[in-house]
Amino acid sequence: MTTYHRRRVAAEMEDPEFRFEYERTRRELAQVNAVIRALDELRDEAGWSKAELARQIGKNDASVRRLFTAEVNPELRTVAAMAAALGAEIRIVSRRRARRESRRSAAVA
Amino acid sequence: MSWDIVYYRQADGRVPVDGFLTGCPVKVRARLLAVLDDVADAPPPQFSGGGRWEATHGTMRGYYEVRAQGPGREQFRLFCILENAEPEELRRRGLSGPAIAVLSGMRKRWMTTFTEADYRRVRRLGNEYLATTPRRVAE
Repeated sequence: MTTYHRRRVAAEMEDPEFRFEYERTRRELAQVNAVIRALDELRDEAGWSKAELARQIGKNDASVRRLFTAEVNPELRTVAAMAAALGAEIRIVSRRRARRESRRSAAVA
Repeated sequence: MSWDIVYYRQADGRVPVDGFLTGCPVKVRARLLAVLDDVADAPPPQFSGGGRWEATHGTMRGYYEVRAQGPGREQFRLFCILENAEPEELRRRGLSGPAIAVLSGMRKRWMTTFTEADYRRVRRLGNEYLATTPRRVAE
């Protein structure tokens, strides 16, 4: 059934501009997805329902439920509030810096 | 398990979303198709689509949209319906499994809204698609 779509994407991938943007977008989406899924796992580990998490951050439970099922675009403020309520934090990790530090530690060792 | 992605095919053989995608700038097309694949790979109720896949509301309740922004902040949308039911029912619809059915696409300038007539056109395609069993999809 997917054949038509797959064929279309495969044909488009022949274009380097399409391929670059497609792959870049997939990587970006994967990161956002990972953040939201990690929050959902923390919520689960805490034994909180989505409604309980919503109460903790002062949101209505429908909005939090929608967020975990990708029905709305997650707002950074809400994500940060949920992370804080679950005893976690959002961090940006620089790959370039991490690589530099890893090379430096390898050189010292 | 990944879902299928199917494109609605009208009775005259036209595939509305094909024409729309072809008219999009290449980067926008890449973004729209990347979001579709992301959602199909981790289908609902899992979180996927990175915030660019959203349920639509009001008169468009029951539909989903893929969102992308293009040059000059122009907004591009793909409109979809989710096909999820018991295996026997999906077979009756001519589907091999749960699927994202892509109906059509629309574009609009930044900070403008689609009109109710625009949405009616999408719903008309949606109604046509749902009224046909087995579903008519591009092959």
